[in-house]
Amino acid sequence: MDYEFPDHLKYTSTHEWIRFENNIATVGITDYAQHQLGDIVFVELPEVGMVFEKGSNAAEIESVKAVGDLIMPLSGEIIEINENLADNPELVNSSPFGEGWMIRIKYSHLDEKDDLLSSEEYKQILQKEIH
Amino acid sequence: MNNKSIEIKKTALYEIHLKHGARMVSFAGYYMPVQYDSIIKEHEAVRSNVGIFDISHMGEFLLEGKDVIKFLQFIMINDLNLLEPSKGQYSCMCYENGTVVDDLVYYEENPECFRMIVNAINIEKDYQWLNDHLGEFDVKITNLSTKRSRVAFQGPKSDDYLQPLVDVDLSQINRFYFAHCTINDNPVFLARTGYTGERGFEISFENKFAEKVWKDLTVTGANPAGLGARDSLRLEACYSLYGHEISDAITPVEAGLSWLVKPKEGIDYIGKEILIEQKTQGTENVLVGLNLIDKGIIREKYKIFKDGDEIGFVTSGGYSPTLKKTIGLGIVKKQYKEIGTELEIKIRNKLLRGKIVSTPFYRNV
Repeated sequence: MDYEFPDHLKYTSTHEWIRFENNIATVGITDYAQHQLGDIVFVELPEVGMVFEKGSNAAEIESVKAVGDLIMPLSGEIIEINENLADNPELVNSSPFGEGWMIRIKYSHLDEKDDLLSSEEYKQILQKEIH
Repeated sequence: MNNKSIEIKKTALYEIHLKHGARMVSFAGYYMPVQYDSIIKEHEAVRSNVGIFDISHMGEFLLEGKDVIKFLQFIMINDLNLLEPSKGQYSCMCYENGTVVDDLVYYEENPECFRMIVNAINIEKDYQWLNDHLGEFDVKITNLSTKRSRVAFQGPKSDDYLQPLVDVDLSQINRFYFAHCTINDNPVFLARTGYTGERGFEISFENKFAEKVWKDLTVTGANPAGLGARDSLRLEACYSLYGHEISDAITPVEAGLSWLVKPKEGIDYIGKEILIEQKTQGTENVLVGLNLIDKGIIREKYKIFKDGDEIGFVTSGGYSPTLKKTIGLGIVKKQYKEIGTELEIKIRNKLLRGKIVSTPFYRNV
Protein backbone atom coordinates (compact mmCIF):
# COMPACT_ATOMS: atom_id res chain seq x y z
CA MET A 1 0.00 0.00 0.00
CA ASP A 2 1.22 3.48 -0.87
CA TYR A 3 -0.41 5.21 2.11
CA GLU A 4 1.38 6.74 5.08
CA PHE A 5 0.67 5.76 8.70
CA PRO A 6 3.07 7.53 11.06
CA ASP A 7 3.98 5.29 14.00
CA HIS A 8 3.63 7.97 16.67
CA LEU A 9 -0.10 8.43 16.00
CA LYS A 10 -3.16 6.47 17.09
CA TYR A 11 -5.95 5.56 14.66
CA THR A 12 -9.58 4.55 14.40
CA SER A 13 -11.20 2.05 12.04
CA THR A 14 -13.18 4.99 10.60
CA HIS A 15 -9.90 6.55 9.35
CA GLU A 16 -9.20 9.27 11.90
CA TRP A 17 -5.73 9.79 13.38
CA ILE A 18 -5.08 11.12 16.89
CA ARG A 19 -1.99 12.79 18.35
CA PHE A 20 -1.72 13.22 22.14
CA GLU A 21 0.05 16.13 23.82
CA ASN A 22 -0.53 17.28 27.38
CA ASN A 23 -4.00 15.70 27.75
CA ILE A 24 -5.10 17.24 24.46
CA ALA A 25 -5.90 15.13 21.40
CA THR A 26 -5.39 16.55 17.90
CA VAL A 27 -7.50 14.79 15.28
CA GLY A 28 -7.56 14.59 11.49
CA ILE A 29 -8.29 12.09 8.74
CA THR A 30 -5.72 9.63 7.46
CA ASP A 31 -3.82 9.65 4.20
CA TYR A 32 -5.99 6.77 3.01
CA ALA A 33 -9.19 8.69 3.85
CA GLN A 34 -8.11 11.87 2.02
CA HIS A 35 -7.12 9.75 -0.96
CA GLN A 36 -10.50 8.02 -1.01
CA LEU A 37 -12.35 11.34 -0.90
CA GLY A 38 -10.25 13.00 -3.60
CA ASP A 39 -9.96 16.77 -3.98
CA ILE A 40 -11.36 18.26 -0.77
CA VAL A 41 -13.17 21.55 -1.37
CA PHE A 42 -14.86 22.33 1.96
CA VAL A 43 -14.57 21.23 5.59
CA GLU A 44 -17.43 22.03 7.93
CA LEU A 45 -15.86 22.12 11.37
CA PRO A 46 -17.66 22.27 14.74
CA GLU A 47 -17.53 25.34 16.94
CA VAL A 48 -15.07 25.65 19.78
CA GLY A 49 -16.79 24.77 23.03
CA MET A 50 -19.06 22.10 21.57
CA VAL A 51 -19.06 18.79 23.42
CA PHE A 52 -19.44 15.47 21.62
CA GLU A 53 -19.71 11.85 22.60
CA LYS A 54 -17.25 9.40 21.14
CA GLY A 55 -18.63 8.10 17.80
CA SER A 56 -20.62 11.19 16.87
CA ASN A 57 -19.99 13.27 13.75
CA ALA A 58 -17.83 16.27 14.55
CA ALA A 59 -17.12 17.54 11.02
CA GLU A 60 -18.18 17.01 7.42
CA ILE A 61 -15.57 16.81 4.71
CA GLU A 62 -16.77 17.65 1.20
CA SER A 63 -14.75 16.62 -1.84
CA VAL A 64 -15.67 17.28 -5.45
CA LYS A 65 -17.38 13.92 -5.64
CA ALA A 66 -18.28 12.83 -2.11
CA VAL A 67 -18.95 13.73 1.51
CA GLY A 68 -17.04 12.20 4.42
CA ASP A 69 -17.38 12.47 8.18
CA LEU A 70 -14.91 13.14 10.94
CA ILE A 71 -16.02 10.90 13.77
CA MET A 72 -15.08 11.74 17.35
CA PRO A 73 -12.47 9.18 18.45
CA LEU A 74 -12.91 10.25 22.08
CA SER A 75 -15.62 12.01 24.06
CA GLY A 76 -14.83 15.56 24.97
CA GLU A 77 -14.89 19.27 24.29
CA ILE A 78 -13.65 20.97 21.12
CA ILE A 79 -11.03 23.43 22.31
CA GLU A 80 -9.58 24.45 18.95
CA ILE A 81 -10.35 24.04 15.24
CA ASN A 82 -8.05 24.46 12.26
CA GLU A 83 -9.18 27.85 10.95
CA ASN A 84 -6.85 27.54 7.97
CA LEU A 85 -9.09 24.94 6.42
CA ALA A 86 -11.79 27.52 5.74
CA ASP A 87 -9.74 29.03 2.91
CA ASN A 88 -7.40 26.12 2.25
CA PRO A 89 -9.36 22.87 2.49
CA GLU A 90 -6.86 21.26 0.10
CA LEU A 91 -4.40 21.11 3.04
CA VAL A 92 -6.25 17.94 4.06
CA ASN A 93 -5.11 16.37 0.77
CA SER A 94 -1.59 17.74 0.75
CA SER A 95 -0.78 17.30 4.45
CA PRO A 96 -3.34 15.03 6.15
CA PHE A 97 -1.17 14.43 9.25
CA GLY A 98 0.18 17.97 9.49
CA GLU A 99 -1.38 21.20 8.31
CA GLY A 100 -4.56 19.35 7.45
CA TRP A 101 -5.44 18.59 11.09
CA MET A 102 -9.06 19.40 11.96
CA ILE A 103 -9.88 19.61 15.67
CA ARG A 104 -8.31 19.56 19.14
CA ILE A 105 -10.25 17.80 21.88
CA LYS A 106 -10.02 18.02 25.64
CA TYR A 107 -11.06 14.45 26.25
CA SER A 108 -13.11 13.46 29.25
CA HIS A 109 -12.79 9.64 29.42
CA LEU A 110 -9.23 8.42 29.77
CA ASP A 111 -10.23 4.79 29.31
CA GLU A 112 -11.47 5.48 25.76
CA LYS A 113 -7.85 5.82 24.72
CA ASP A 114 -7.50 2.06 25.10
CA ASP A 115 -9.87 1.49 22.16
CA LEU A 116 -7.67 3.35 19.69
CA LEU A 117 -5.52 1.48 17.20
CA SER A 118 -1.77 1.47 16.75
CA SER A 119 -0.40 2.20 13.28
CA GLU A 120 0.21 -1.52 12.78
CA GLU A 121 -3.36 -2.42 13.79
CA TYR A 122 -4.78 0.29 11.53
CA LYS A 123 -2.65 -0.92 8.64
CA GLN A 124 -4.05 -4.43 9.05
CA ILE A 125 -7.63 -3.11 9.02
CA LEU A 126 -6.88 -1.15 5.84
CA GLN A 127 -5.43 -4.17 4.13
CA LYS A 128 -8.65 -6.06 4.82
CA GLU A 129 -10.74 -3.13 3.57
CA ILE A 130 -8.81 -2.79 0.33
CA HIS A 131 -8.61 -6.49 -0.56
CA MET B 1 -31.92 -5.13 -5.07
CA ASN B 2 -29.44 -7.93 -5.53
CA ASN B 3 -26.84 -6.90 -8.07
CA LYS B 4 -24.47 -9.72 -7.40
CA SER B 5 -25.62 -11.79 -10.35
CA ILE B 6 -25.17 -8.90 -12.79
CA GLU B 7 -21.79 -8.94 -14.41
CA ILE B 8 -20.16 -5.54 -14.67
CA LYS B 9 -18.81 -4.98 -18.17
CA LYS B 10 -15.46 -3.56 -19.22
CA THR B 11 -14.95 -1.15 -22.08
CA ALA B 12 -12.23 -1.86 -24.66
CA LEU B 13 -10.12 0.75 -22.85
CA TYR B 14 -10.35 -0.85 -19.38
CA GLU B 15 -6.72 -2.03 -19.26
CA ILE B 16 -5.48 1.35 -20.42
CA HIS B 17 -7.37 3.06 -17.60
CA LEU B 18 -5.70 0.78 -15.06
CA LYS B 19 -2.30 1.59 -16.55
CA HIS B 20 -3.06 5.29 -16.17
CA GLY B 21 -3.79 4.62 -12.47
CA ALA B 22 -7.51 5.29 -12.71
CA ARG B 23 -9.87 4.77 -9.83
CA MET B 24 -12.57 2.59 -11.36
CA VAL B 25 -16.21 2.65 -10.30
CA SER B 26 -19.24 0.76 -11.49
CA PHE B 27 -21.49 3.07 -13.52
CA ALA B 28 -24.38 2.03 -15.76
CA GLY B 29 -23.15 -1.55 -15.78
CA TYR B 30 -19.55 -0.71 -16.69
CA TYR B 31 -16.30 -0.29 -14.81
CA MET B 32 -15.49 3.33 -15.62
CA PRO B 33 -12.69 5.66 -14.52
CA VAL B 34 -14.10 8.25 -12.09
CA GLN B 35 -10.72 9.95 -11.84
CA TYR B 36 -7.07 9.26 -12.66
CA ASP B 37 -5.25 11.63 -10.34
CA SER B 38 -7.43 14.58 -9.38
CA ILE B 39 -10.86 15.61 -10.62
CA ILE B 40 -9.90 19.27 -10.32
CA LYS B 41 -6.73 18.80 -12.39
CA GLU B 42 -8.63 16.86 -15.05
CA HIS B 43 -11.32 19.54 -15.09
CA GLU B 44 -8.70 22.27 -15.51
CA ALA B 45 -6.99 20.31 -18.29
CA VAL B 46 -10.22 20.42 -20.30
CA ARG B 47 -10.65 24.16 -19.68
CA SER B 48 -7.06 25.09 -20.61
CA ASN B 49 -5.69 22.24 -22.73
CA VAL B 50 -7.47 19.03 -23.80
CA GLY B 51 -9.02 16.15 -21.89
CA ILE B 52 -9.81 12.73 -23.30
CA PHE B 53 -12.71 10.74 -21.87
CA ASP B 54 -13.75 7.14 -22.41
CA ILE B 55 -17.49 7.34 -23.05
CA SER B 56 -17.82 3.82 -24.44
CA HIS B 57 -20.47 3.06 -21.83
CA MET B 58 -22.87 5.24 -23.81
CA GLY B 59 -25.28 3.68 -26.29
CA GLU B 60 -24.98 3.81 -30.07
CA PHE B 61 -27.79 2.78 -32.40
CA LEU B 62 -28.04 2.78 -36.16
CA LEU B 63 -31.51 3.45 -37.59
CA GLU B 64 -31.95 2.51 -41.24
CA GLY B 65 -34.87 2.46 -43.65
CA LYS B 66 -36.89 4.72 -45.88
CA ASP B 67 -39.12 5.95 -43.02
CA VAL B 68 -36.35 6.97 -40.60
CA ILE B 69 -37.08 10.69 -40.76
CA LYS B 70 -40.83 10.15 -40.46
CA PHE B 71 -40.24 7.84 -37.49
CA LEU B 72 -37.93 10.29 -35.71
CA GLN B 73 -40.38 13.15 -36.34
CA PHE B 74 -43.00 11.03 -34.53
CA ILE B 75 -40.83 10.04 -31.56
CA MET B 76 -38.56 13.10 -31.05
CA ILE B 77 -39.58 16.58 -29.86
CA ASN B 78 -37.01 18.46 -31.96
CA ASP B 79 -37.64 19.07 -35.68
CA LEU B 80 -35.79 16.91 -38.21
CA ASN B 81 -36.44 19.55 -40.87
CA LEU B 82 -33.63 21.53 -39.29
CA LEU B 83 -31.24 18.70 -40.00
CA GLU B 84 -29.24 17.85 -43.11
CA PRO B 85 -26.83 15.06 -44.03
CA SER B 86 -23.54 15.24 -42.03
CA LYS B 87 -25.23 17.12 -39.22
CA GLY B 88 -26.38 16.05 -35.75
CA GLN B 89 -29.18 17.29 -33.53
CA TYR B 90 -29.77 17.24 -29.77
CA SER B 91 -33.28 16.16 -28.81
CA CYS B 92 -35.44 14.37 -26.28
CA MET B 93 -37.87 11.56 -26.72
CA CYS B 94 -40.77 11.93 -24.33
CA TYR B 95 -43.65 10.03 -22.86
CA GLU B 96 -47.21 11.05 -23.68
CA ASN B 97 -47.26 13.13 -20.45
CA GLY B 98 -44.21 15.09 -21.59
CA THR B 99 -41.66 13.61 -19.18
CA VAL B 100 -38.46 12.31 -20.68
CA VAL B 101 -37.56 8.81 -21.91
CA ASP B 102 -34.05 10.04 -22.75
CA ASP B 103 -32.09 12.96 -24.13
CA LEU B 104 -29.77 12.13 -26.98
CA VAL B 105 -28.04 13.20 -30.17
CA TYR B 106 -28.69 11.71 -33.60
CA TYR B 107 -26.65 12.27 -36.70
CA GLU B 108 -27.95 12.13 -40.28
CA GLU B 109 -25.63 9.87 -42.28
CA ASN B 110 -28.13 10.11 -45.13
CA PRO B 111 -31.92 10.52 -45.25
CA GLU B 112 -32.32 6.76 -44.73
CA CYS B 113 -29.63 6.20 -42.11
CA PHE B 114 -29.19 7.88 -38.70
CA ARG B 115 -26.63 7.25 -35.96
CA MET B 116 -27.96 7.84 -32.45
CA ILE B 117 -25.96 8.27 -29.21
CA VAL B 118 -27.95 7.70 -26.01
CA ASN B 119 -27.31 7.76 -22.26
CA ALA B 120 -25.58 4.72 -20.81
CA ILE B 121 -28.20 4.14 -18.13
CA ASN B 122 -31.00 4.18 -20.73
CA ILE B 123 -29.65 1.92 -23.49
CA GLU B 124 -32.02 -1.00 -22.90
CA LYS B 125 -35.02 1.23 -22.20
CA ASP B 126 -34.42 3.32 -25.32
CA TYR B 127 -33.91 0.32 -27.57
CA GLN B 128 -37.19 -1.12 -26.30
CA TRP B 129 -39.02 2.22 -26.58
CA LEU B 130 -37.87 2.74 -30.17
CA ASN B 131 -38.82 -0.77 -31.19
CA ASP B 132 -42.19 -0.59 -29.42
CA HIS B 133 -43.11 2.43 -31.54
CA LEU B 134 -41.93 1.20 -34.92
CA GLY B 135 -45.42 0.15 -35.97
CA GLU B 136 -45.72 0.42 -39.74
CA PHE B 137 -42.57 2.53 -40.14
CA ASP B 138 -39.99 1.00 -42.44
CA VAL B 139 -37.06 1.28 -40.01
CA LYS B 140 -34.51 -1.21 -38.74
CA ILE B 141 -32.67 -0.49 -35.48
CA THR B 142 -29.25 -1.98 -34.77
CA ASN B 143 -27.68 -1.69 -31.33
CA LEU B 144 -23.96 -1.08 -31.89
CA SER B 145 -23.27 -0.08 -28.26
CA THR B 146 -20.95 -2.96 -27.35
CA LYS B 147 -19.39 -3.33 -30.81
CA ARG B 148 -18.02 0.17 -30.92
CA SER B 149 -16.05 2.40 -28.56
CA ARG B 150 -16.47 6.12 -28.03
CA VAL B 151 -14.22 8.85 -26.70
CA ALA B 152 -14.68 12.57 -26.13
CA PHE B 153 -11.72 14.83 -26.98
CA GLN B 154 -12.49 18.20 -25.42
CA GLY B 155 -10.65 21.43 -24.80
CA PRO B 156 -9.48 24.68 -26.41
CA LYS B 157 -6.52 22.96 -28.09
CA SER B 158 -8.50 20.01 -29.45
CA ASP B 159 -8.39 21.21 -33.06
CA ASP B 160 -4.64 21.84 -32.91
CA TYR B 161 -3.91 18.43 -31.41
CA LEU B 162 -6.26 16.48 -33.65
CA GLN B 163 -5.64 18.09 -37.05
CA PRO B 164 -2.25 16.42 -37.73
CA LEU B 165 -3.76 12.97 -37.07
CA VAL B 166 -6.80 13.13 -39.37
CA ASP B 167 -7.33 13.16 -43.12
CA VAL B 168 -10.01 15.88 -43.08
CA ASP B 169 -9.84 19.65 -42.68
CA LEU B 170 -11.33 20.16 -39.20
CA SER B 171 -12.04 23.83 -39.90
CA GLN B 172 -14.65 22.63 -42.39
CA ILE B 173 -16.58 20.77 -39.69
CA ASN B 174 -18.86 23.19 -37.84
CA ARG B 175 -20.44 22.59 -34.45
CA PHE B 176 -22.81 19.61 -34.52
CA TYR B 177 -21.50 18.46 -37.92
CA PHE B 178 -19.53 15.25 -38.41
CA ALA B 179 -17.29 13.42 -40.84
CA HIS B 180 -16.08 9.88 -41.44
CA CYS B 181 -12.31 10.04 -41.50
CA THR B 182 -9.23 8.28 -40.17
CA ILE B 183 -7.00 8.86 -37.14
CA ASN B 184 -3.60 7.52 -38.20
CA ASP B 185 -5.35 5.25 -40.73
CA ASN B 186 -7.96 3.90 -38.29
CA PRO B 187 -11.49 4.67 -39.47
CA VAL B 188 -13.59 6.80 -37.13
CA PHE B 189 -16.86 8.73 -36.94
CA LEU B 190 -15.88 12.23 -35.79
CA ALA B 191 -18.43 14.81 -34.64
CA ARG B 192 -17.87 18.32 -33.35
CA THR B 193 -20.05 17.84 -30.26
CA GLY B 194 -19.44 17.60 -26.56
CA TYR B 195 -20.67 17.79 -22.99
CA THR B 196 -18.04 19.99 -21.37
CA GLY B 197 -18.81 23.57 -22.44
CA GLU B 198 -15.51 23.60 -24.33
CA ARG B 199 -14.88 23.12 -28.05
CA GLY B 200 -14.08 19.54 -28.97
CA PHE B 201 -15.05 16.29 -30.60
CA GLU B 202 -16.83 13.05 -29.90
CA ILE B 203 -15.36 10.11 -31.75
CA SER B 204 -16.73 6.61 -32.36
CA PHE B 205 -14.94 3.59 -33.82
CA GLU B 206 -14.86 -0.19 -33.81
CA ASN B 207 -13.59 -1.78 -30.58
CA LYS B 208 -10.55 -3.23 -32.34
CA PHE B 209 -9.18 0.28 -32.92
CA ALA B 210 -9.86 1.50 -29.38
CA GLU B 211 -6.43 1.15 -27.78
CA LYS B 212 -4.66 2.47 -30.87
CA VAL B 213 -6.91 5.51 -31.19
CA TRP B 214 -6.65 6.27 -27.46
CA LYS B 215 -2.84 6.11 -27.59
CA ASP B 216 -2.67 8.31 -30.70
CA LEU B 217 -4.95 10.86 -29.05
CA THR B 218 -3.11 10.92 -25.71
CA VAL B 219 0.40 11.40 -27.14
CA THR B 220 -0.81 14.73 -28.50
CA GLY B 221 -0.73 16.13 -24.95
CA ALA B 222 -4.33 15.44 -23.98
CA ASN B 223 -4.93 14.42 -20.35
CA PRO B 224 -7.07 11.39 -19.56
CA ALA B 225 -10.15 12.61 -17.67
CA GLY B 226 -12.76 10.61 -15.79
CA LEU B 227 -16.46 10.71 -15.02
CA GLY B 228 -15.88 13.04 -12.06
CA ALA B 229 -14.55 15.81 -14.28
CA ARG B 230 -17.15 15.03 -16.92
CA ASP B 231 -19.84 15.80 -14.34
CA SER B 232 -18.25 18.98 -12.94
CA LEU B 233 -17.64 20.27 -16.49
CA ARG B 234 -21.17 19.65 -17.67
CA LEU B 235 -22.58 21.25 -14.53
CA GLU B 236 -20.59 24.46 -15.14
CA ALA B 237 -21.90 24.45 -18.72
CA CYS B 238 -25.43 23.62 -17.45
CA TYR B 239 -26.00 20.63 -19.70
CA SER B 240 -28.81 18.42 -18.44
CA LEU B 241 -28.01 15.03 -16.98
CA TYR B 242 -30.70 12.36 -17.24
CA GLY B 243 -31.98 11.42 -13.78
CA HIS B 244 -31.13 14.89 -12.48
CA GLU B 245 -32.43 17.85 -14.52
CA ILE B 246 -34.60 15.66 -16.76
CA SER B 247 -36.20 12.33 -15.96
CA ASP B 248 -39.40 10.37 -16.24
CA ALA B 249 -40.80 12.87 -13.70
CA ILE B 250 -39.54 16.13 -15.26
CA THR B 251 -40.43 17.54 -18.68
CA PRO B 252 -37.99 19.36 -21.01
CA VAL B 253 -39.92 22.61 -20.50
CA GLU B 254 -39.53 22.39 -16.72
CA ALA B 255 -35.83 21.66 -17.26
CA GLY B 256 -35.25 24.80 -19.31
CA LEU B 257 -35.18 22.96 -22.63
CA SER B 258 -38.24 24.66 -24.16
CA TRP B 259 -36.17 25.43 -27.23
CA LEU B 260 -36.22 21.70 -28.07
CA VAL B 261 -40.02 21.63 -28.22
CA LYS B 262 -40.89 22.42 -31.83
CA PRO B 263 -44.33 23.15 -33.31
CA LYS B 264 -43.78 20.76 -36.27
CA GLU B 265 -46.99 21.85 -38.05
CA GLY B 266 -49.04 18.92 -39.27
CA ILE B 267 -46.92 16.36 -37.43
CA ASP B 268 -48.22 14.59 -34.36
CA TYR B 269 -45.37 13.51 -32.05
CA ILE B 270 -45.41 11.79 -28.69
CA GLY B 271 -45.87 14.32 -25.89
CA LYS B 272 -46.63 17.18 -28.28
CA GLU B 273 -49.91 18.31 -26.82
CA ILE B 274 -48.73 18.80 -23.26
CA LEU B 275 -45.28 20.11 -24.22
CA ILE B 276 -46.65 22.81 -26.55
CA GLU B 277 -49.10 23.81 -23.84
CA GLN B 278 -46.28 24.02 -21.27
CA LYS B 279 -44.11 25.96 -23.68
CA THR B 280 -46.80 28.58 -24.34
CA GLN B 281 -48.25 28.83 -20.84
CA GLY B 282 -45.24 28.02 -18.67
CA THR B 283 -44.97 25.41 -15.95
CA GLU B 284 -45.47 25.46 -12.20
CA ASN B 285 -41.85 24.44 -11.63
CA VAL B 286 -38.80 25.71 -13.47
CA LEU B 287 -35.07 25.04 -13.52
CA VAL B 288 -32.81 27.74 -12.05
CA GLY B 289 -29.11 28.26 -11.37
CA LEU B 290 -27.97 28.39 -7.73
CA ASN B 291 -25.07 29.86 -5.77
CA LEU B 292 -24.48 29.68 -2.03
CA ILE B 293 -24.03 32.84 0.01
CA ASP B 294 -22.92 30.83 3.05
CA LYS B 295 -20.05 28.38 2.80
CA GLY B 296 -20.82 24.80 1.92
CA ILE B 297 -21.44 22.43 -0.95
CA ILE B 298 -24.90 21.68 -2.30
CA ARG B 299 -25.73 18.27 -3.75
CA GLU B 300 -28.59 16.71 -5.65
CA LYS B 301 -31.87 16.17 -3.76
CA TYR B 302 -31.17 18.83 -1.10
CA LYS B 303 -34.39 20.72 -0.39
CA ILE B 304 -34.84 24.42 -1.16
CA PHE B 305 -36.82 26.72 1.13
CA LYS B 306 -38.08 30.31 1.10
CA ASP B 307 -39.16 31.83 4.41
CA GLY B 308 -39.64 28.37 5.87
CA ASP B 309 -41.70 26.95 2.99
CA GLU B 310 -40.30 24.19 0.83
CA ILE B 311 -40.20 25.52 -2.75
CA GLY B 312 -38.08 23.00 -4.62
CA PHE B 313 -34.97 20.82 -4.72
CA VAL B 314 -31.44 20.74 -6.05
CA THR B 315 -31.08 18.62 -9.21
CA SER B 316 -27.27 18.82 -9.40
CA GLY B 317 -24.74 20.63 -7.28
CA GLY B 318 -21.10 20.75 -6.45
CA TYR B 319 -17.89 22.68 -6.47
CA SER B 320 -16.96 24.58 -9.62
CA PRO B 321 -13.21 24.25 -10.21
CA THR B 322 -13.34 27.07 -12.78
CA LEU B 323 -15.26 29.57 -10.64
CA LYS B 324 -13.86 28.21 -7.36
CA LYS B 325 -17.23 28.29 -5.65
CA THR B 326 -20.33 26.23 -5.10
CA ILE B 327 -22.77 26.01 -8.00
CA GLY B 328 -25.95 24.10 -8.57
CA LEU B 329 -29.11 23.66 -10.57
CA GLY B 330 -32.49 23.26 -8.97
CA ILE B 331 -36.17 23.08 -9.73
CA VAL B 332 -38.29 25.67 -7.89
CA LYS B 333 -41.84 26.99 -8.01
CA LYS B 334 -42.08 29.56 -10.79
CA GLN B 335 -42.85 32.52 -8.54
CA TYR B 336 -39.35 32.25 -7.07
CA LYS B 337 -37.41 31.98 -10.32
CA GLU B 338 -36.21 35.60 -10.61
CA ILE B 339 -32.46 36.06 -10.64
CA GLY B 340 -31.26 37.45 -7.32
CA THR B 341 -33.99 35.76 -5.26
CA GLU B 342 -32.52 34.70 -1.95
CA LEU B 343 -33.48 31.31 -0.56
CA GLU B 344 -32.28 28.63 1.82
CA ILE B 345 -30.94 25.19 1.03
CA LYS B 346 -31.02 22.47 3.65
CA ILE B 347 -27.64 20.78 3.98
CA ARG B 348 -27.89 17.96 6.50
CA ASN B 349 -29.53 19.76 9.46
CA LYS B 350 -28.63 23.33 8.57
CA LEU B 351 -30.33 25.89 6.37
CA LEU B 352 -27.72 27.74 4.35
CA ARG B 353 -28.40 30.94 2.43
CA GLY B 354 -28.27 30.82 -1.34
CA LYS B 355 -29.54 32.76 -4.31
CA ILE B 356 -30.77 32.29 -7.83
CA VAL B 357 -28.25 33.22 -10.51
CA SER B 358 -28.17 33.25 -14.29
CA THR B 359 -26.95 30.24 -16.25
CA PRO B 360 -24.81 28.82 -17.73
CA PHE B 361 -22.05 29.25 -15.17
CA TYR B 362 -19.46 28.80 -17.91
CA ARG B 363 -19.42 28.00 -21.61
CA ASN B 364 -16.75 28.50 -24.23
CA VAL B 365 -18.11 26.88 -27.39
